Amino acid sequence: MDEQKRAQFKKMLREIKNLPTLPGIVAKLGKMAEDPDTTTEQMGRVISKDHILATKLLRLVNSAFYGFPQRISSLNSAIILLGFNVIKSLIISASIFEVMEAQDVELWEHSLGCAVVCNVLARHLGVKDPEEISTAGLIHDIGKVAIKMELPREYEMITDLSQEKKISRLEAEREILGLDHAEVGSWLAKSWNLPNKLVEPIACHHDPQLAREEQMASAIVHFGNIMIRGLGYGHAGDIWVPPLNNKAWKVLDLAPIDIDPLLQEIEEKLWEVKGFSLDIQTEPESAA
Amino acid sequence: MSRILIAGSDSLLMPECRFFLEAKGYTLKHCRNLQAALAQVLEDPPDLLVTEKGFSGNNGDVALIRAVKACLHKANIPIFLVVDENQLQVELDWDNYPVDDILTKPFAPEILLARIHLAEARMIRAFDNNPLSRLPGNTSIIRAIQRVLGESDGYAVCYVDIDNFKPYNDRYGFSRGDEVILMVARVMVNVVEELAGKGSFVGHIGGDDFVFIVREEMVESVCKKILANFELVRNMFLSAEDIAVGEFVGRDRQDRETRFGLLSLSIAAVTTGGGRYTHYGEVSSVASQLKHCVKKLEGSNYLVDRRD
Repeated sequence: MDEQKRAQFKKMLREIKNLPTLPGIVAKLGKMAEDPDTTTEQMGRVISKDHILATKLLRLVNSAFYGFPQRISSLNSAIILLGFNVIKSLIISASIFEVMEAQDVELWEHSLGCAVVCNVLARHLGVKDPEEISTAGLIHDIGKVAIKMELPREYEMITDLSQEKKISRLEAEREILGLDHAEVGSWLAKSWNLPNKLVEPIACHHDPQLAREEQMASAIVHFGNIMIRGLGYGHAGDIWVPPLNNKAWKVLDLAPIDIDPLLQEIEEKLWEVKGFSLDIQTEPESAA
Repeated sequence: MSRILIAGSDSLLMPECRFFLEAKGYTLKHCRNLQAALAQVLEDPPDLLVTEKGFSGNNGDVALIRAVKACLHKANIPIFLVVDENQLQVELDWDNYPVDDILTKPFAPEILLARIHLAEARMIRAFDNNPLSRLPGNTSIIRAIQRVLGESDGYAVCYVDIDNFKPYNDRYGFSRGDEVILMVARVMVNVVEELAGKGSFVGHIGGDDFVFIVREEMVESVCKKILANFELVRNMFLSAEDIAVGEFVGRDRQDRETRFGLLSLSIAAVTTGGGRYTHYGEVSSVASQLKHCVKKLEGSNYLVDRRD
């Protein structure tokens, strides 16, 4: 790979400012913000279902202006600290997809599904901050959105290459860009001052053996991603289920017998998500 | 004050004004629609905002001004509103436009610069705000307490402080201590704004001591919510090991090794209804007795004093 080209892609991706959100979600939140009875928590619950808005919220609360750089890894805390008025401004300033394609919705569903699986896994494993691990699961593919927005031509090439050669999107990204979405997502997260608790699981969701401090979180997001792809909810850009890393599997310390009850719980929670997805897709787009 | 956000159409600021200000060392950022301007205010707040009546259509001007003034951290950013003279013939509702100054078109660059200098000077004069939290300081607190003592409605004056703040500082360092102070300030401001709204007040006495004032009937729900939110956010500011142990070891004022509970909040609320007090000093002395009691309780607590 041409080093110079890689550096150029890197530069373009780093400068990305405004990632677009699904119009249905912005419209729903806009309506909520107008209603005087809406509480901050209610807005928070909707924002926690969107990978782009969640990222923006975390970026804002960890920015130098608020004085908590790299400190806040939980969405609930971010919402408490920013407060209703700031969240309202965030929603008005959110940009939406000018042309929304099926793949944007599908990637969102994949991200939200992954968050649900991560939450179930984290609770089952008795991890002390399950909410933060589901947040990491929610935003793990943020690099994909950045590549699509900033390098649309290359994004198409990656899709074509992955279909043509029957390789994963990850491999196709490495071939075309010399970078992959996990790496892109992790520097964006780092440049936005997000805590390492979130950066490392994003960086390592395909290579969890590389995690240094957040091994458990990275292993959960790794396996969560595999499970949601296996379940076929949403779409992450290619048809393959990524391989399971042996070391991550050991960190998780799950037995095959654990999987069935977990799957049942995940399926139940996904029902709620599916309802929400339907709801925001039928929301009239006029408010946007 | 050097970074100015210009939110308006291309004709808002004549090129000569732009060059003049830039020559005087100001950095200008121009946003042509509400979305861009709000994003700028959120991500990199300016020192001064100049906008125009009718900005971005559909109440965009009001939305932008409110977004700045509604956030306590940004409420002291001066806002200039540029209007046409004929727009002033219809009297504007200034409650709807909480701006700091107006300019009518056309204006000379020197006028704009003079207004900017004046805004800077006024800010320094009005400033008893705490440099860390940017909340109003003691002069404003005394004034706010005196104001509610004179009202017929009952209010609660609530004194807040952080338990075990000194050992936290010793253990985590001052800059981490500052983060906790900012955190408590934001938790309080957001809850008070959302639940109590108009007529309420939040001030920073100094260090880890704060005051907020809400209407008497709101005091319990506001205190409960502040404590609940504090408990939720607190762990972000503690190390995993301290959370696991549930306490930390530090040294007390006599330099003896002591175990301290993790961070918690104590709130002592004094109600003012029925003309009970005439002077703020009486309120603060009742509060300090009350605080003595609430501090003895373990963890986060509040006590409301109702002397009927």
